Amino acid sequence: MSGGAFTAFLESGVRFATPLAYAALGELVVERAGVINIGLEGAIICGAFGALIAAGTGSVWLGFAGAALAGVLLAAIFAFFVVTLKTDQIITGTAMSMLGLGLTGTLYRTMYGTAGASLHIATIAPAPVPGLSAIPVIGRAFFDQPVVTYALYAIVPALAWWFYRTTGGLALRAVGEHPEAARGAGISPSRVQWAALLFGGAMGGISGGTLVLAQVGTFAEGMSAGRGFIAIAIVVLGRWTPFGVAGAALLFGAASALQTLAQTMGWGMPYQLPLAFPYLLTLVLLASTRGRTASPAALGQRPA
Amino acid sequence: MDFHRRADWAVTDPAYALTLHGITKQFGSTVALDGADFDVRAGTLHALLGENGAGKTTLMRLAFGMLRADAGTIEVDGTPRRWRSSADAIAAGIGMVHQHFLLIPAMTVAENVSLGDRGILRGFNPRAAADRVRRIGTETGLVLDPAACVADLAVGAQQRLEIVKALARDARILILDEPTAVLSPAESQELYAWLRAFVARGHTVVIITHKVREALAIADDLTVLRRGRTVLTGSSRNLDEIAVIGAMIGASVTADAPATANVSAPGAAVMSLEHVSVIDERGVQRLRDVSMEVRAGEIVGIAGVEGSGQHELLRVLAGRLTADRGHVKTPAHIGFVPADRLRDALVPAMTLTENLALKDSGSARGIVNWDSYEARAAATIRGHDVRTSGPEALAGALSGGNQQKFVLGRELEGSPEALVVENPTRGLDIRAAAHVLAELRSARVAGVAVAVYSSDLDEVLSIADRMIVCFDGNATATAVDAGAVARALVGLG
Repeated sequence: MSGGAFTAFLESGVRFATPLAYAALGELVVERAGVINIGLEGAIICGAFGALIAAGTGSVWLGFAGAALAGVLLAAIFAFFVVTLKTDQIITGTAMSMLGLGLTGTLYRTMYGTAGASLHIATIAPAPVPGLSAIPVIGRAFFDQPVVTYALYAIVPALAWWFYRTTGGLALRAVGEHPEAARGAGISPSRVQWAALLFGGAMGGISGGTLVLAQVGTFAEGMSAGRGFIAIAIVVLGRWTPFGVAGAALLFGAASALQTLAQTMGWGMPYQLPLAFPYLLTLVLLASTRGRTASPAALGQRPA
Repeated sequence: MDFHRRADWAVTDPAYALTLHGITKQFGSTVALDGADFDVRAGTLHALLGENGAGKTTLMRLAFGMLRADAGTIEVDGTPRRWRSSADAIAAGIGMVHQHFLLIPAMTVAENVSLGDRGILRGFNPRAAADRVRRIGTETGLVLDPAACVADLAVGAQQRLEIVKALARDARILILDEPTAVLSPAESQELYAWLRAFVARGHTVVIITHKVREALAIADDLTVLRRGRTVLTGSSRNLDEIAVIGAMIGASVTADAPATANVSAPGAAVMSLEHVSVIDERGVQRLRDVSMEVRAGEIVGIAGVEGSGQHELLRVLAGRLTADRGHVKTPAHIGFVPADRLRDALVPAMTLTENLALKDSGSARGIVNWDSYEARAAATIRGHDVRTSGPEALAGALSGGNQQKFVLGRELEGSPEALVVENPTRGLDIRAAAHVLAELRSARVAGVAVAVYSSDLDEVLSIADRMIVCFDGNATATAVDAGAVARALVGLG
């Protein structure tokens, strides 16, 4: 592979990784509070649809706000069932995925017709960072991207700081490890889980918004394409830490880029192979003691 | 004899650090507290005693704001208070060390101590947190390594950490639930010395315990709960072990006539233990060199204050627990009725037929003959007066008394050689309880070797031919007499 091709590969890897990282960082916060939201797929597709509606005003930023809001709304339904009514997390999460996919599909067809008229909405263009984007090989990949990608460079360290250097982060981790102990210390586990889920919903929504506003430029039914489930695997591979999750998102993004590359270059290998690799890595990690012990101890338990 | 000797202390006297009056709390249909009163004088160490299920822990969780009472009042330093959560109780100066520590194993000592600090964006500085742990260590002698991971701490250190957590929140009233249950005798002494010093500085301590002798030795005042009510309270100087034990187990200890004149003609030994010792997974010795037997056609009553080894003794007899040392002889066909029906004896979401079939599920092979099980379940229902719609009723839909009759009927099905029964009338009304006891008597007449434990001493005395009393892992034979049993319960010959 030439240097130019490699840079292009990296650039597309980062592009694929951006929506994955948003969804996974949101899910990371949710899981650290002891909740597993497998309805994340629903938040992403709702975010994409919310972005479509809100960006119709002509403003990309309103588009992102609409995406976040749509994700938050779906997350609020999930939180009401799982935290307030204490329903099963897996079943409720599955319902949220189906609700998100079904609802957006129906609304889209009702509003724009079955043909799915190709809509032209405001999108966000890459904004190269002067100087940094000129760094050989990695410059263009990391510093010639849309602003949403740059925001991640701040969100990841901010989350890490919040997790380990604030009492709020301490409370979040305590709820995910041992909700009774948190309650004994005067923390309300249900309030923490509500807050975490709403944050996770906003991040999932922005993930969908990124697809529409920074990449595809339109909405399509089911365009989340399993990213919600990939994000859950990314949290595992990232061993429930912000930097780990960012790295894992990059790895999954690179796998997608490699698959595209393999197809365009006509390499004689099955294009599914690079896609499967990060999943295999996740499974290996899950099977190892190190992987399992990193998980929040109370993950997936019904709140008392 | 009336054990309710509550002093007429003034209600709003600031000399009381903690006052709980008329506390009632129900969980579903179970009444955990039934108008309990609890008054703790400021600057004293107060022991709260009672048997398993008496409501001690529930009462203290209410005082700490982890539960909300259905009725009753809470006062701290003479001021009426109402807790929304334990955060309010903590702010009012109450700290609680739970029996099962509320620590987060994956976090460090310093992180666990900082857990209750408020604020979503308030900085958490590991160095400052570590300094705080060290400072409390120097001030109070409760020394801990702030950077140590809680999962690596020994039990004694985990308890120190729980106390440090409370002190970091400026607790003036410290509640400890069974603090010595997990400690060695030396560690217990150390803890008690520390608590006395804490009280000497003007603070207040409540310890929940069932160890009567320890409570009398270290507490200023003592309160006994039984079935959710306060049955005895007063200064430990004016109380002795027999009176306290009597209040805990509800026996009229002063009655000197033997409670029963059971005559039995026992046969050969069916269950026998020789020099049996049991050590639990934490390394605590639960049974020490126990030898006993239960013969065909007799009822052996077993008594013991919670944690004395009777739990393990019953399970060794029933073949549910393997002895670490010694020789155990049990018959092939043995019935076992554990204390917790809904956790250990029945699957509430399954029908009575399915619950009956579970009995054989460990050994059965091939296809289940449901018709046969249904007929057996129907026979059990008829034979043991179980009030239900039929074999297809869900076990969870039955009342407690009918569940117990069904469990007992199932365990007696097919003429077992032995029957081991734990707290058989717990939570039952008088009629159902009488029925269960009558069943045990008729099993004895039918030649079954029966071992019965009950936390209600009068009950076990009323049906036992012989008595075995557990104390500190030892099992001693005593007369079938309340006074003799009460003395043995606290280790007095």
